[in-house]
Amino acid sequence: MFNRRDFLSRTLGGSSLLAVGSVVPEFLAATARAADTDPKAKGKDTILVVVELTGGNDGLNTVAPYGDDLYHKARPTLAHTRKDVQKLDDYHGLHPRMGELKQLFDKKQLAVVQGVGYPNPDRSHFESMDIWQLADPRRAQTTGWLARSIPGMSVSDAGVPGMYIGQDRLPLAMQGADGGVISLADRESFHLKLTGNGPPRQKLLQDLNSGDDTQADLAAFVRKRQLQTYTSLKKIEEALAGVGGNTQPQPQPRRPVKGGGDNFDLNSLTGKLGLIGRLINKGLGTRLYYASLAGFDTHSGQAEQHADLLGEVSTSIGSFFTGLGAEAGRVVLVTYSEFGRRVKENGSRGTDHGAASCMFVAGPKVTGGIVGKHPKLDDLSDGDLKYHTDFRRVYATLLDGWLGVDSRGVLGEKFEPLPLIDRAKKVEPPGGPVPAKNGQKATSPALPPPPAAPAVKE
Amino acid sequence: MAESLPSELSRVDPADAWKPWRPSAATPWDRKWVAHLYRRAAFGPSPAETDRALADGFETTLDRLMTGQPDAPALQDLFADAGEYFKDPLKLRAWWLYVMLEGKHPLREKLTLFWHNHFATSFAKVQRVHLMFEQNLTLRKHALGKFRPFLLDMSKDTAMLKWLDSNQNIRSAPNENYAREVMELFSLGVGNYTEKDIQEAARAFTGWHADGQVNRDEDAFEFKPEYHDAGPKTVFGQTGNWGGEDVVRLCCDRPACGRFLVGKLYAFLVSETAPPKGLLVPLENRFRASDYDIADLVKTMLGSRLFFSAHAYRKRVKWPVEYALGAVRGVTPGLVPLADLVDPLAKMGQTLFAPPNVKGWRTGTDWLNSATLLARNNFAETVATGNWPRISTRGGRGGATFAAVAPPTAPVADVAEADTLMFAESSPGAPSGAPRLVGPADQVQAAAGAFGAAPVYVATPPVDGLPPGGPSGGAGSAPVPKGPAPAPAPPPPPEAKFDPTEVLFKSKPASVAALVKRMGELLYGEEVSPAARGKIEKFLLDGKKTLGEKDLDSVAFRQRAREALHALMCLPEYQLN
Repeated sequence: MFNRRDFLSRTLGGSSLLAVGSVVPEFLAATARAADTDPKAKGKDTILVVVELTGGNDGLNTVAPYGDDLYHKARPTLAHTRKDVQKLDDYHGLHPRMGELKQLFDKKQLAVVQGVGYPNPDRSHFESMDIWQLADPRRAQTTGWLARSIPGMSVSDAGVPGMYIGQDRLPLAMQGADGGVISLADRESFHLKLTGNGPPRQKLLQDLNSGDDTQADLAAFVRKRQLQTYTSLKKIEEALAGVGGNTQPQPQPRRPVKGGGDNFDLNSLTGKLGLIGRLINKGLGTRLYYASLAGFDTHSGQAEQHADLLGEVSTSIGSFFTGLGAEAGRVVLVTYSEFGRRVKENGSRGTDHGAASCMFVAGPKVTGGIVGKHPKLDDLSDGDLKYHTDFRRVYATLLDGWLGVDSRGVLGEKFEPLPLIDRAKKVEPPGGPVPAKNGQKATSPALPPPPAAPAVKE
Repeated sequence: MAESLPSELSRVDPADAWKPWRPSAATPWDRKWVAHLYRRAAFGPSPAETDRALADGFETTLDRLMTGQPDAPALQDLFADAGEYFKDPLKLRAWWLYVMLEGKHPLREKLTLFWHNHFATSFAKVQRVHLMFEQNLTLRKHALGKFRPFLLDMSKDTAMLKWLDSNQNIRSAPNENYAREVMELFSLGVGNYTEKDIQEAARAFTGWHADGQVNRDEDAFEFKPEYHDAGPKTVFGQTGNWGGEDVVRLCCDRPACGRFLVGKLYAFLVSETAPPKGLLVPLENRFRASDYDIADLVKTMLGSRLFFSAHAYRKRVKWPVEYALGAVRGVTPGLVPLADLVDPLAKMGQTLFAPPNVKGWRTGTDWLNSATLLARNNFAETVATGNWPRISTRGGRGGATFAAVAPPTAPVADVAEADTLMFAESSPGAPSGAPRLVGPADQVQAAAGAFGAAPVYVATPPVDGLPPGGPSGGAGSAPVPKGPAPAPAPPPPPEAKFDPTEVLFKSKPASVAALVKRMGELLYGEEVSPAARGKIEKFLLDGKKTLGEKDLDSVAFRQRAREALHALMCLPEYQLN
């Protein structure tokens, strides 16, 4: 007997996401093209991408207080040296492998929020993860904070408000938004069911829904939404093209964590963000994306694993924003983890569960820089850093300042905003494409082509 | 009077708009308007209901919708008793869907749904199925009653007290949550009160609790004088030693109250197009003069000239519950496994007993985004093909008949769960198959034999060797996805009781054109638009010029008919009410 999880991983391994594509009717291509000629079809709403670093990321070695002797004392084998870190200033340095994030920091497109946590920290992965995802240290809420933000969020072009990229169960943060969130790995959730005489039925639907509306009445409005729905299917199919490189369902064990993975490998953060980037570039209209990267529970032999993970975080975020091209200005990405780790390393060259940690907020419209002081290393609570910034202040800032959603309604109380977002900021196109002249839309930068031959992947 | 209303809504005289409608040559009492009335006052017509409404005439039909069928009160008592036993939200949802379909008083259920959205309370926070159930009974009790006692009962409703933190509302630290919502969302609307009014009203509600501290019954409202602020308060400029009852009264005394409620009911029953200034004034006056008689207001709206005009026709987006039940009632011969509606409804954006927040669902065009529209398309596929997941995946209890209602003395564990509701086998439109009602005196006996002699609740035999219970799971559990389907394999024919062609072919259509006409009648109450008709007929003909009697009766043709039906349910017009 196999359980549901096995079943999913067998039939819905990263590669079989292609199944979504294979059931999308051919006629949608025409619909998609038609919709793309409509200049309004491309969304102009702001977008938030949430990246979960699962397992408790060691904030102290992510943004290292290399200028503090106590840091080096507490981490005899794990501390980054002054020579290695990506220096943010005389005291703080990013992990040596986070070169891309350093570049964003230098461009003032990365905020490092220090000392984030909540009262009476829970050191259980599951409890603390729930707290972050519910945005409620009391855990009285039963729906996720992103789900709760959806009813108050405008989605101007009728897209699916929220999307989870991954094979696992929908994260708690996105649970409770009926009809507002889809999970891209769940084939059932976003495919058009047409059994029996498939092709003629597709043609019939196309014919029936392609009528011209002479009046701007309610039916015409619904017809437009219906076409947008079919178009979304098509856009998702296109964005998924090349993913996994194999059309056959196959067992897909999670790759060992080695930084990297390409834009089409959905077992990597790079692949997940790559897919999100393609969906954004296609103007899908989704405003919330969620992806996660696991493996941060580094109790032993932390150095190599942590370096690979943070390397993946850094390169994937870097290439994500580059790939977004002219759309980047609409996007803010935030990372979080359920807790940081103990200041003192343990006897296995690893670290144990801790409390306060740091968060990254990235994007062209982010007010760059270090936000808040690094928690003091000589004023600990049970060996852990003390938080000074409630994580809900970050959420509130993103809700009010970026998504335009009343944070009080989502979080239940008002939190003081942080200086993270500057919507009026002038944005230079990030390295990549230059907007074309004559009002033509900018072309997306060349993303790496899909793997040429599926067999090579094996 | 005989003239029709102006085609521009702003030019409609409010005095004319709400006069009683009389069928005329121009607007006769025909299928189109029967379907319109049933979509608004009920959950769409079944074929049998349409026939009966046409035979009875408009006034009799409206009266029957207002009062329900003669046996509705006793039947609903029985359902209320049955609801006691449901312990998980999925089953409670199936239970309510069942009452909507089989309660013989659809208008009351429709209004109960409206008030559920108005007094939006969610299981997500309340976390007690029983309290949600009790609140549902209160909503139903007052759905067509008077608003003043309704608002008072809701202010003391246990689920509501939990939902809006009333247990924390004490003299030394007033919690304003309920006081704010009772004004903003339940009676007056934004802009018709001050922050000071809210603060003072919160003090008046102090000590209205339901936490079992005094009488140890957590389910009961209790007034705790020791937590109550008995001092003077000033609400809407009136000063007194007000308690909660006074605040409810003062809210209802405000002119904004009638205006607010009439506006919301207008959007629900008549049109989601914003009414021009003055259009609703006659209704507001009448509503106030009747001391907020909801039934009178509803009947005035539903029986009005404006209601039977282009200003109301297809001027609303169907709520997901309306879409799902309307489709099922229109074309499915038997009662479908109602638990199979719960997950599609969630995907369409409406989980009963779990509105997204205290403001309720975002209605109108906000119902429709790419995910929810796709969910509607896919639900239509299930209805049209008649292949319901629970029928094909559930096993166990082969052919057993089991009762819907246990004797009151039976231990709860023996109660035949809400599976009963998922496998009910009666026919909504056909009196012969409907549950036979038993009087309250026979209830204990009735419990043993369900609602009558006929085996009303039947489990299907095991299929595919799946274990009993199968992978059906509880609320929110995702269906187990199937692997990539081999495309060309024809789907198996559905069971007769779920197969729409059983209904479609009942009148033995003699041609493709006649069949498409029948589809239009069943789904829309009128003919399919000429543009769509040609395309559907072409699809059904499948390259042939004409079809003979034998072709029309073939298995392959029936499959095409189901597929055409699906396409018709995916048209924009079908999303409108």
